[in-house]
This record gives sequence, structure tokens and C-alpha cells, in this order.
Amino acid sequence: MTMARSELRRRAVRAGLLAAVAIVYLCLVGMVQAFSTRNIVGGNLPLSRILLLLPSAVAASLAVRPRVRGGVTMELNMGEAAGAGASIGLIAGAAVAVGIGIVNLIGQEAVRGVFNAVTSALMLTLTLQRSTVVGTAILVALSTATGALFALAGVLAPRLRRPIVTGLTVVLLMGMLQSVVRVMLVQLGLATQWLYSVTFGGLTYLGAVASFAAGMAAARLWALRREAAAADAAERAEAGGRPRIPRAMLLVPVGFVLLALPALLGTFLSAVLGQVGIFVLMGLGLNIVVGYAGLLDLGYVAFFAVGAYATGVLTAAVNSGSSLHPGLPFLLAVPIVVLIAVAAGLLIGGPVLRLRGDYLAIVTLGFGEIARVLVTSDWLKSFLGGAQGLIAIPAPTMSVGGLHIDFRNPQPFYYLALGFCLLAAFVSWRLANSRVGRAWNAMREDEQVAEAMGVSTVRYKLLAFACGAAIGSLGGALFAVQIGSLAPSSFVFFISIQSLAIIILGGMGSIPGVIVGALVLVGLPGFLTEFAEYQPLIYGAVLVAIMLYRPEGLIPNVRRTRELHEEEVEQDAWLEGVPEPAPSMTLGEAVE
Amino acid sequence: MRRPSWFAVVTVLGALSLVAAGCAKEEGGGGGGGGGAVDCNTVEFGCVTYAAGAPIRVGTLLAISGSVATLGLDSQHGVSLAIDYLDGKFDGKPGQLVGHPVQLDNEDDLCSKQGGQTGGTKLASDPTILFVVGTSCSSSALGVADKLLGDKGIILISPSNTAAGLTAPDQHNPFYMRTAQNDAIQAKVVSDFVYTKLGFTKAATIHDESPYAAGLTGGFKTFFEQAGGTVTDEEAFTTIAGGGSSDFKPLLTSIAQTKPQLIYFPDFNPECALIAKQAADIPQLKGVKLMGSDGCNASTFFDQAGAAANGVYLSSPIPSPGASTSGLLDQFNAAYKDQFGKQTAPFNANAFDAFNVVAAAVKKVAIENSDGSVSIPRVALKDAVFQTKDYAGLTGTLTCISTGDCQAPLAVNIGVYLSPDVPTNKPGSEPIFNETITLEDALGSG
Amino acid sequence: MADGTTEVAPKPTATVGRLARFPLRKTIQLVIGIAVVAGAAWGAYRTISLGTFTGAAWRDLVVFGVAQGAIYMLIALGYSMVYGVLRMINFAHGEVFMFGAFGSYFVARVLNDHGLINSSPVLSIAILMIAGMVCSVAVAVLLERVAYRPLRNAPRLVPLITAIGASLFLQNTARGFFGDQDRGYPTPDSLGGSWTILGIPILRSSVIVIVVAVTMVAALTWFVARTKTGKSMRAVAEDKDIASLMGINVDRVVVMTFVIGGMLAGVAAVLFALVFGLVGPFMGFVPGIKAFTAAVLGGIGSIAGAAIGGLILGVLESVGPALFLTGLKIPGPNQLKDVFTFTILVLVLIFRPGGIMGTGEPEKV
Repeated sequence: MTMARSELRRRAVRAGLLAAVAIVYLCLVGMVQAFSTRNIVGGNLPLSRILLLLPSAVAASLAVRPRVRGGVTMELNMGEAAGAGASIGLIAGAAVAVGIGIVNLIGQEAVRGVFNAVTSALMLTLTLQRSTVVGTAILVALSTATGALFALAGVLAPRLRRPIVTGLTVVLLMGMLQSVVRVMLVQLGLATQWLYSVTFGGLTYLGAVASFAAGMAAARLWALRREAAAADAAERAEAGGRPRIPRAMLLVPVGFVLLALPALLGTFLSAVLGQVGIFVLMGLGLNIVVGYAGLLDLGYVAFFAVGAYATGVLTAAVNSGSSLHPGLPFLLAVPIVVLIAVAAGLLIGGPVLRLRGDYLAIVTLGFGEIARVLVTSDWLKSFLGGAQGLIAIPAPTMSVGGLHIDFRNPQPFYYLALGFCLLAAFVSWRLANSRVGRAWNAMREDEQVAEAMGVSTVRYKLLAFACGAAIGSLGGALFAVQIGSLAPSSFVFFISIQSLAIIILGGMGSIPGVIVGALVLVGLPGFLTEFAEYQPLIYGAVLVAIMLYRPEGLIPNVRRTRELHEEEVEQDAWLEGVPEPAPSMTLGEAVE
Repeated sequence: MRRPSWFAVVTVLGALSLVAAGCAKEEGGGGGGGGGAVDCNTVEFGCVTYAAGAPIRVGTLLAISGSVATLGLDSQHGVSLAIDYLDGKFDGKPGQLVGHPVQLDNEDDLCSKQGGQTGGTKLASDPTILFVVGTSCSSSALGVADKLLGDKGIILISPSNTAAGLTAPDQHNPFYMRTAQNDAIQAKVVSDFVYTKLGFTKAATIHDESPYAAGLTGGFKTFFEQAGGTVTDEEAFTTIAGGGSSDFKPLLTSIAQTKPQLIYFPDFNPECALIAKQAADIPQLKGVKLMGSDGCNASTFFDQAGAAANGVYLSSPIPSPGASTSGLLDQFNAAYKDQFGKQTAPFNANAFDAFNVVAAAVKKVAIENSDGSVSIPRVALKDAVFQTKDYAGLTGTLTCISTGDCQAPLAVNIGVYLSPDVPTNKPGSEPIFNETITLEDALGSG
Repeated sequence: MADGTTEVAPKPTATVGRLARFPLRKTIQLVIGIAVVAGAAWGAYRTISLGTFTGAAWRDLVVFGVAQGAIYMLIALGYSMVYGVLRMINFAHGEVFMFGAFGSYFVARVLNDHGLINSSPVLSIAILMIAGMVCSVAVAVLLERVAYRPLRNAPRLVPLITAIGASLFLQNTARGFFGDQDRGYPTPDSLGGSWTILGIPILRSSVIVIVVAVTMVAALTWFVARTKTGKSMRAVAEDKDIASLMGINVDRVVVMTFVIGGMLAGVAAVLFALVFGLVGPFMGFVPGIKAFTAAVLGGIGSIAGAAIGGLILGVLESVGPALFLTGLKIPGPNQLKDVFTFTILVLVLIFRPGGIMGTGEPEKV
């Protein structure tokens, strides 16, 4: 069934206006200009231009998706879709044109007095380095064309659309990660000239085509594999037997990939993965407190600080800024650090046992701040180094067959982090499926009922805080090892938010979710220097968007999803109008 | 039943990881090339080789975002001007170094240890980076970026790190050097100014929990007390960006109870501006002088403090060119204004010098190969920089000493300005007090 | 420690166990409370016996604290009202405040260019307040519409996390739009110096802050108690569903709540900017957290509670470090003032979970 003309027009105008707001926002917030130096393909497609066209593209492809209204699916034909997409692109482009006009009318200086990002460089970027009139006209035309093209892509059948989207995503990622991938290839002794342009830094045209093809092929293979897996599952369900390949066997190739990564990726990427590892630990720990036990802790940085400072003080052998420097070996220090963290967890958990929800959040936030204040203070300076922090924290070393391994070097550090993460993930997994995990579930879903059923909420809350603190402190310990010196400015509220964002993005209560969350939120910005400045902005947007559109996260925990979507009748109203995410959504699409 | 098999898997994985870690250590290193006096294949850290016409890659690791961006971007402009001047003129067109263009790779030190770690690792992992100008903030360098880069034989030369620890003999990384003055010198000059010139014997200090400010207030206390003065109160606050409050009135009231003659607050803005403004509102601080340092000394201070800025003393290094370069400094300032507008921090000339000191050493050690490529041995480059003697720079005639301080004949000219007559506010202002002392002078007495 | 498999199941006699444990928890909390109070008393005694601080200094500290507390009070009212009506923490309220400050800053700059700030300060401040209110209200209403309304019936943590995200997003949006650097806010010269009231010299800016804040609280109390909109607000706060059955438009009341919270935040923002002479993208975060703490301290949902909580917090921050720590010879006492803020919060919540003016439990299921 096709949709009414007025309905289509309304939808297109709405999407166009949203795209226009998004473009103007991206320009004013400075992102467009910040990304203008990174060429993605050739010399004419820097990230800034992609960003300028992205809102039209996304709005157009989403606006023309089939929609279910009153039990009837309404689809658009190609012509309608192209028309709608073009008008969306036109509206968005026109908004930029109006903006350029206003700036020229009032004068750049005056506008810059309010909006910092409106520089002559930005105006040149917007007009594609041409004269104002010509450049603006080209931009509007490009935006219109992009809208039309992506609207057409939007109405394609999924089996055609997915490979295209994946291919484009791969090209974009390869272009964005150019410096990383190039260094990686050089380290592997491979030629890069055919892939990346020497002059522009971005992909060559050949490289872009190759990346696109690789992306398409991967998407196709993935789809085939899924079909096979589905058929296999159906067969199994009929036969009622066990899976042909035991799941544990699948871990072997995964394990090999995990082990081979540092050698493949080189030092910088290994260092970034090490950082991801630290935040996987933070996420896993916070996941126990928030995801399992349902206690929102906004001061999780306190345990990170306890872990880092305890490690620093205990392992330092020379004068590190602390009057204590027992010089314990790292492996001996770690259990002590964990014990200290557990004590801290009980100390924080103890007084706030009766508080729930919002109150708990604000009190734990307070504890996080207290932790930061104390490590910075001149009062504890003789133990914790005060503002100057701690220095000369040794890295654990190991000698194997005459080979000296220093775990501060990114590649050995990666293995250390991997080991800790596996341990923490294993513990989390066992906890979740144990009696304790079930008690936490009960407590999270309804504390009163849980208590009435004989679950000691005091004890399980304390246990959650203790476990969370222990795992978080491991993250802190690794942090101390990785950097080798500690400054109090590293232990700010933002770390708590970062950990929270990781588990929200991945899905509360989901261990794979934590890993994906950390990779996306900590890994990606690590690779992309330009993003570093916009990291908090993106975190904020991610938190809001996930809560509005997919509160169970990218990789949901089954039980959480049920709680969020089905448990309460009240929530039905809230769920109405929320598009049901496609169950087969790939990560590429989610990121797009 | 499943546990033993798990255990086996973990053990095998562990063993494999060790092997892989061992293999991984072997990668990296400089390129080939060779000929000349140095054999690039055998010297420690090897050589960096650039093909004919390929750009020489130089990293910067400066604070280019956040509230300290005024500091890092200002230094980055200094480096850009140095590249502009490689051809001997400020014309906005980059010059060449040993026949190759220079390409900058700008990383952000975020003015924190993490920033130093991330940016440092990234630059260190790229074997084609010749040297790095940075960091802006001492905390990013100390034990973090200096080690990361030094471990790969990459020089890190800072235009604005002033913390004494970076060049202390027991902490100095062999590949680290700086053209900024050592804080010990600035603290000594401030102490001399307060004790001798102003004749004050009682002062209070406020630091903002940054290593920079804590180092300066600590150094000031040492020197001031040696001279015979008393530090009546040592206070500290959390910066607004770090979660602190904007209200300094209670803190200043507490200080007023100890009856100092001067308050020394070597912090950053906006806190410097807020302290200056709010001190005027405390009746008990009537007649008490205020003294900030080069961290406060930025254009933002005058915008934010308004009239309250007047009468505040600010210390800052003075570019003190020899006769041969005095014209150059004027040209540099003009070119800066032309290309980047107003100077926002006092370290751009140090950044210019930092780049040039290394560039001069590059010219000395570069090996030009027959195919038009150029090879630069890393260790020889470092040694050549440390041999820099009487280099005519913008900030003075520079000589590098073995612990990495590259300064005007081992000494720095620090001036004290009386606001509003400060160069970052009114270009061309003259200091009311200045003193040129050597690092030995400062450390010898401290 | 974390091997949960060894945990034994709660025995059927758990009820008895729970009763037996109950006094233990109380005892621990009581011990913590007594320890903190005794420590504070000891510190205060030592400080006063040192005699470093003059009487005038204590008086000044209290006055500074009250002025700071008055600003917290205005922001806290916004938190409190939204919490009262929606039972959610509008974590982004500090950013509503920040945008109000920026809005009025741009107007202030124009006024300053025409010399109006100094030639007619009262008119200028009135204009600035209106500008601040308009901006804050716009942001608050937008926030409600885009981020909170779709989540009205979601589980409690969902809107809270959304609010944290919105706070981060708005903060960094302002940073991108207006730049990292704090900007100097033009203030009338006549606001400098002090007036002597009842023999106490008080900064003029402090007097204005206190007077405006008290007026706003009085006006708000009247509004909520007497007007029709105020009554429907109270009805919605009491029970959303029944209120809507009684013909009250809940959406309208919620928007109204955000409008009023935004207005108060806008006024607070202008006062803050006039006192400190600075606006910047991160200016809202800390006052926001403090104000929320103040609201909880006083008893969230209550106007008087927010007012009292704000004042207590302001005075405690100002006087606390000097009074309790100087005597103990703790270096850098002002660094530790947040420790006071949050310790008092924890203590109050332990002994009076509903806050000082609140009643009973912080929440019912």
C-alpha cells in the first residue's frame, strides 16, 4: 500500500528540517571544520564534506523506510522515494545556504563574537573552497543529490541495501583510520601506496573501490553464514540434538585472534587496546553494581583511584612522591590492592544501604568527588603525592629464556590487560549465573518483594559494591602500570560517566556489551585524534540516544530487555512509537 | 568436570602470549639507508630516512584543546613560523630543511598524563617521526611522553614545560630537552623581587593543584624562607574545570587572617582572574599585593579580571635577543600578528627556538644519500642538540646543558610586570623588575 | 572474594536474622555519626582556641556563605520542583543555568557597548534577568520535550541516565558554540564595594543576590500555594494519574514546572555572572551538583527545604574549612570543602532520609 501524498510531504519536510538542524548544529559546534583536514578518499572528500552531507543522507534513508501503520505496511516506490529524498536534501542544503547568507550579511566578526566556530576557514569549507555564490549552489545541489541517492538506497531490499551500507561504512572507516591502518601495514612490511595516497593521506580511488568491495563481500558472507546458522538451528531444533560444534570450541579461534592482535596491530593500536582493556574492567565492575544489582553508582571513579593509587604506593621502590614505598612486586601488590578496594567498597556501600535510585546516585557521586579531593589534597600529600602525583611507578617485568619483558610496553601490556579482563569477565559470568546473580536480579526488579522472599538485601548490596570495587580497582592497577605515574587530574567525574556510558551503550547486564561499549567509546576516539575533543559531546549524545531508542543497549541482556520492554504494562505507552530495532542489525548499521 | 580443560586452555593461551610478546618486541626501528660516517644499520635507534622529495615529519604534542588551548595553539603557531622561516623569510610559505619540506603531525597533550600517554604512544609508534616539539604541560611529559619517545630515540623538546623535575639529574630522560625556563629560576626571581625589591617579609601562596603551580609555590617558599621571609599561609583550591567553586572569598578571608603583605598565586585563568577580582572585595586584604606568574599571564586574564587586573604583578620570561637577532624578534612578532592574530601566551618564541635548535642539529648530522634521500641518525641528532652552544635564538643566545635545559647562556631573564602594562595586554610593555640568573644560581641556593 | 557459588542460600529463618541484624546497622551508622560530629567539634574547638580568625572574619565568612547559598537556593528550587512533579533528577539543570548565563551575556555585551550597564544599572539588570530567563526557559522546555517526555513512564534509572547524557551534551555544545575560554561578563561599576547594613559591611553584589533570591522564593511559595496552576502542580506531584482523571492536563503542568525551574535558573545565572563576572561552558556543572545536594539536604520536593538546604550548604562551604580544619593544622583546608558538602549529605540521609524538611522515607514503592 502506498502512502498518501500529504503524509509523504509532511514526513519529508519533517526529516528535512531535522537534517537542517543537525547540519547547522555540526557547523556551529565546530565539528565540520575540525574534520576538514582528514581526507577520506582522494583530495576532494575530506571528512568535513561527508559530515555536511551525512544528515541529509541519514534523514533521507530513514524517512523512506517502510512503516507499519494500523497493521498495514506502507512502502514507497522508487520515484516517490527519490523525490522525498531530494526534498530532504534540498531543505538541509538550503538551511546551510541561509546560514552562509546570514553570516555574510551580518559580518563574520560579529557572528564569531557569539559562535566561536564561524571562522573564515569554516566558510571556505562550506562553500567548498569556491566563491560564496558558486560554492553554496554546489553544496545545495550536492545535498539534494545525496538525499535522493540515499532515499533510493533506503527503499532497496535489505539484502541489497546491507552490503552497500557495509561497503560504504568500511570505506569511511578505512579513510578515517588512515594513519593507524597505514602504520599497521608498514609494520607488517606491506605496500601502502596503492591503498593510501601519499599526497592527500586518504584512500586512493583504487583503495576506496577495494575497501568497498571488501565490505560488500564481508556483508554477503556474513548474511550467508547467518542463513546457514539459522538453517542449522532449525534442523537442530527438529532433531532436538545438541549443536554440532560445541560453543567452547568456538573460543579457540577467538583466542588465537586475541593473542595475535598485538603482533598484527603494532604498538600504537596495542596501546589503544590496552586502554580499552582498562575500561573493559571498569565497565565489568560497574556492570555488577548497576547492571546486576541495579544500584546506580555515579562515583565509580573512586575505585579506579583506589586501585591506581594503592598500586602506585605499594609497588614503588624509590621515592615516588609518597613517603611510603615498600616496593612490592606487582603480582603480590594486586591482591592487597583488591582487598583495599573491597574495604573501600564496603565503606561506601555501608552508609548508603537504605538509599535507592536517585539518592544513591547523588551520594555515590559525592564519594567519587571526595576520592578526587583526597588524592589531590595537600593533607595527604606525603602519602599520595598531592597535586604533583606519584611518579616512578615500576612496571612489572618478566624474564623468559633470557628475554626481558617489560609490561609497560604496549604489546606486553595488552596481554596483561587481556588476562585481567578474561579473569573479570569469567568472574562476572559465574556471578551472574549463580545464586548471587539471581538474588541481585530479584533485588533489582523489586527490592521489597526480594526482601520478603528472604533475600538479604543488605548483604547482597554490600556484595555488589565489594565485587564492583574489586574489578574496578584492577582497572586502576593497570592504569598505574600503563602510565607509570599518577596525577590526580586523571580521577575525575568523567571517568565515572565514561564507565557508565560503556555499559549503557553495550547493554546493562551484558558482558559482551561491555566489551563492545569499551571498543566503541574508548577505542574509536583513541584512533581518531580529531574526535578526542568531541568525546564528551559524543558520550552525551550516545547516552541520550540509547535511552530514547534502544534502552537495552547494542548487545542486550535478555532479562534486562524483558524488564525494560515487557515487565510493566505502564511502559507500553512509552514504547509506542519507538521503532522496534531489527533483530539482525549489524554493528556497522548501528554505528552508521 | 569442565574446569581442568579450561585450565589447560588458559595455560596454553598464556604460554602463547609470552611467545607472541617476545616476537612483538622485535618490530619497529628506523629505516635503512646509510653511507657516510654513521652506519645506520648498526647505530642504536638507527636512522630516519626520507625519500627524495618526501617531507620530513615532525610531531607536536601540545595542549590544543580545552581551556589551556591558548597555551598550546600559541606554541604551535611558533613552530609553524619556524617552518615558514626555514627559507630565511617570514612569507607564509614554508621553507625546506636539508632539501625536504617539513610536515607537522599535531597531537594533543590535553595538559594531562593521559594526553601525554596517548599522543606520546601515537608519535612513538610512527618510525618516520624525526622529533617532537612538546609538551605544553609538564605533567604530560614527566615520566610519560619523555619516556615513551625517549625509548624510541625520538627527541622531545618543550617550549613551555617549566617543572624543575623534568631536568633534575635523577629524572631527566636523555632525549628530553626544553627551551622554556626551569621553574626553579622563576621561583627564585619572584622571591628576589618580593623580598629585595618590594622589601616584603610575609607572603602567602595559593596553588591550583597543578604540578606547575604546586612546583612554583613550593620553590618560592624555599627561596623566600632562605632569604629570611615567612610564608604565612599555603592554600590550594580545585580549578573550576576540575569541579571546584568560583567563590574564592572564603579562601582569601582565611589568608587575610595570617596578615601577609603579598599573595603569590601562580595559577591559570580563569582562576587567576577570579582571585584578582575577589581579593578586591575582601576588606581585610586592603593593601595586600597580588602576584601571579606566566600561567596567569595570558590575554584572557585581562578580559576576565577587567579593572581588577590593574596593580597585579605578573612574572614572565623575557625574550632577550642578542644584537644579532633583535631585528628577527620584531619580524617574528609581526609575522605572528599577520598570520595568527594576537599572541595568547608567552611561549611562542620558545617554540620557534625549540624547532630551530633541533633543525640546526639536523643540518649538522643529516646524511645525504646518492638517490636524493636523506638519513638522519637519531642518537647523533640528540648529541648534536646537546652540543648546541651560543645559538642565536629569539629568546636569547641558547646553550644546552646535559640535563636538557637549553637556555640563554645557561640563564634566563625573568621580568616582573605591573598590570596592566604587560606584553600580553599591551605589546611592548617594559618590565618593572628583571633579573638574569643561571640555573646553578637558583639550584645552588636551593 | 567474588566466587559467588559458595554463597549459602538465605535460610527460611531469614526474618529472624533480619530482625537481629537491624540494630547492628543502626549502631554502625550511629557510630559514624557520632565520630563525625565529635571530630568536627574538636576541630572547631581547636580553631577557636588558636584565635587566628577575628570576629569580623567569621562574620564575613557567614555573609559570603549566605550569598553563595542564595544562588544554590535558586538553582535547587528548579531541581526540587521537577523532582516533586516527575520524581526524576533533572541532572541537566546546571546546563539550563549555564545557557541562561550565556544568553544574558550576549545581551550584556550589547548593553555595555552602548554604555547602558553603567548609566542605568537597574534597568540593565532587569533586562539581563529577562534575557537569562528566556534562554534558560527555552533550553529547559526543549530538554523536556526532546529528552524527558518520551521517557515519562520508563523505569526510574532511564530518565536519570538520559539527564546525565543531556547534561554532558549541552555542556559540550556550549563549549563548541561559544568556545572553551570563560568570557568576562560586564558588570556595573556601582555593584562594586559594599553597603553597611545593621552595622555589617556587606558586598553590594551579595545584598542584591540575597534580596532577589528571597523575593523569588516568596513569589514561588505564593504561586504554588495560591494560583490555579500551582494547585494543579501540587495535584500532579501528589498523583499523576488521579490528577489527569480530574481533568488536569499533566503535560501542560510538567512544561509549566520546567518553565518555572528555568526562570529561577535564569535569574540565578545572571546573579552568578554579576557576582563572579565570568561566563563559561562549564560554569553550570558544579553549582548544579551543589544545588542538587542542597535540595536533597533540605528535603527534595519542598520549597522551604531547597531554600534551607541551599543556605546551609553555602555557609558550610564557606565557614567549614576554616572552622573545622584550621585548628587541626591540616594544610590547604579549602581544598577539602567538598568533603564537607558530601559528608553532611550522607549524614542527613542516614538520619533523616527525607532531608531536613522532608518526612520519612526518601521514596515509597
